[in-house]
Amino acid sequence: MTRRAQTRLGILLAAPVAIMTIVFFLFPLVNAVYYSLVDFNGINPNPAFIGLANFAEMIFDPEVWHALGNNLIWIIGGTAAPLIIGLLVSVLLWTTRRGATIYRIIFFLPYVLPGVAIGIVWGWIYDPVSGWLNQGLTAIGLGGLARGWLGDPNIALYAVLATAVWASTGFVIVILLSALRNVDVELVDAAKIDGANPPQRLWYVILPQIMPVFLMVLTLTLVGGFSVFDIIFIMTGGGPAGATNTIGTYAYSQAFELSRIGYGTTLALLITVLSVPFAVALNRLQRRLSLDGTGA
Amino acid sequence: MRKQLIVAAVALSAMTLAGCTGGTGGGGGDSDPDSIRFLIGQPEDNADLDLTKADLAAFTEATGIEVKLDVVPSENMRTVLQTQLRSGEGPDVFGYDTGPGFAGALEEAGLLYDLTDAYADNDWPIYDFAQERVTFGGKIVGIPNDIESVGLFYNKDIFDSLGLAQPETLDDLTAAADVIRDSGVIPFAVSDKEGWQGGHLLSMVLSSEVGGDAMEGLIAGDTSWESPEVVDALDVLASYNSDGLFTPSPTAVTYDNANALFYSGKAAINPTGSWLAQDIERNVDFGVGYIPFPAQDGPGIFSGGLGSGLFISATTTKADAAIKFLDWNVTQEHGRWQVEEQQSIPAFPVDTEGIEATPLFTQIIADAAKIADGTGDFGYNVDVLMSDTFNEAMWDGIQAILTGQKDADQVAADLEKNF
Repeated sequence: MTRRAQTRLGILLAAPVAIMTIVFFLFPLVNAVYYSLVDFNGINPNPAFIGLANFAEMIFDPEVWHALGNNLIWIIGGTAAPLIIGLLVSVLLWTTRRGATIYRIIFFLPYVLPGVAIGIVWGWIYDPVSGWLNQGLTAIGLGGLARGWLGDPNIALYAVLATAVWASTGFVIVILLSALRNVDVELVDAAKIDGANPPQRLWYVILPQIMPVFLMVLTLTLVGGFSVFDIIFIMTGGGPAGATNTIGTYAYSQAFELSRIGYGTTLALLITVLSVPFAVALNRLQRRLSLDGTGA
Repeated sequence: MRKQLIVAAVALSAMTLAGCTGGTGGGGGDSDPDSIRFLIGQPEDNADLDLTKADLAAFTEATGIEVKLDVVPSENMRTVLQTQLRSGEGPDVFGYDTGPGFAGALEEAGLLYDLTDAYADNDWPIYDFAQERVTFGGKIVGIPNDIESVGLFYNKDIFDSLGLAQPETLDDLTAAADVIRDSGVIPFAVSDKEGWQGGHLLSMVLSSEVGGDAMEGLIAGDTSWESPEVVDALDVLASYNSDGLFTPSPTAVTYDNANALFYSGKAAINPTGSWLAQDIERNVDFGVGYIPFPAQDGPGIFSGGLGSGLFISATTTKADAAIKFLDWNVTQEHGRWQVEEQQSIPAFPVDTEGIEATPLFTQIIADAAKIADGTGDFGYNVDVLMSDTFNEAMWDGIQAILTGQKDADQVAADLEKNF
């Protein structure tokens, strides 16, 4: 095969990915940047060009900062809780022989349920009048704790976050369990003989070996925290009075409830700008660890 | 090879551009002149959807025009409709809200068919006040489906068992609600998780307190939304909530769940609209009364408004069939069917003699007739007349009051700011 033929073949083979990248990534991105520069209400075919006005409004919009604060809570809680719970449960399951498959199915099941269904069902559970949670608390003498979980601005975000943690922990467990299969058990046994207790074995022996996979899961949950939308939208709609708004729900509200597509798109771009550096940095760290030969 | 690549690239570009370019006419590409596409939001009760399907079948049988029904979740209606209309692939006819933030916005963008001539040609007998609500910039762009009012449905059996009479003033209502609460029943089945219910609550309390003329002043911007009357109305909601007269944590309760509390007798009063009358009668086995939210010094007035309306896409290629469909909807026969089967009140005069209606709905029809012919004072359901920005401030504001995040003065200031 001549060099020219090789070049043609290379172009041909790369073309599908290049075209898909252009159509499904670059074109929407350029489109989004365009909409962020115009005052588009969703129906006017010739929206007015307003330059950086949407970006200026975003910076001085107090609701953006409030929503970002909620995103931060979500990123920290929604990343740390599933990872910690998932790591502990997966290590327990790793050492369990009997019924391991059943446990895996039980823990993974919430992850495969549609987010909408989870939101609706947990909405029933949290219902202040007929919800199981309040009824259960009352039945065991803790009626004083019963409240409108999704209607209290101080609690609603955490109630939704708890649901999200419940739904996503199964994913972490299954992925980490797969990684744990490649852990060198002899190293763990050696540490045990040397007197390392279980937390020390987990921290110093097991975790370094599964670190690339752990970082991959961390990246996914972390980036998910920036763009979280569906479960909040289903369970609270961003309310009460915007108390559970994240940038995602606030962008939706601006774009589709107030017909401010331009401003909503600007907010959506903010999510991208904030999340991409984290994803890239974690991805590089993961690759470096893999190249170093650490982990699974 | 190079030639093949160029051909492939051109073909792909053409396909991409074709995908990005809208069609040229409504109806989703169907060219059959005797077939139209009709888009509506999902009704709350599936039984209502069955009624609509039966009505469309009757229209097809009478005219030979087939109606293809598309149903989308109501909360997605705005997004779906705007996208379809802008793409030129929208429905020929669609049901949509009549307010300035809804049909008004579509008209402003030139997406609605001008029905002014059709009104003249067909002599459609829509009430004047209703016709005004679908007239934008001098053009009539729709036919209103029905008249709605918001007020208080109450459980007569609970009131009788507690020795309570129908409240005639705000003090009566408050005293009755106190007795109901002390008996272990929730006085008001208030929901506000979705947010829009707060607008109805404010509409009914405020309308009764200030009267129809003052409501017009507020809506027109002649009176400030920071006026003491508005603050007082918001305070009524705040105090009822803090006194335990509303559902616990109303901002955590959905509309359906609050209705279920009323149906099951766990709540005595349901503050909502006449559109729920049929569902109430389907679901309860106790007597139900329907009254306006009382004022300080009297029984108060209902807040009236239009429900949704029917509109034709500006790009439809089947205007004749679409207008025939609208014409079908304003016939006397259809109006009587609407009253009897849907228990909704047409936005045009209908001879109701001989119509079989329950006492509850008979009362609602009579009250609505006063709204329609202008013989009685009536208030306004604010959210169908205001902008999206105002509505958002109102809905968020009332949620903030019910959760203690803001007081009445702050919310009134927000309303004025967002007017």
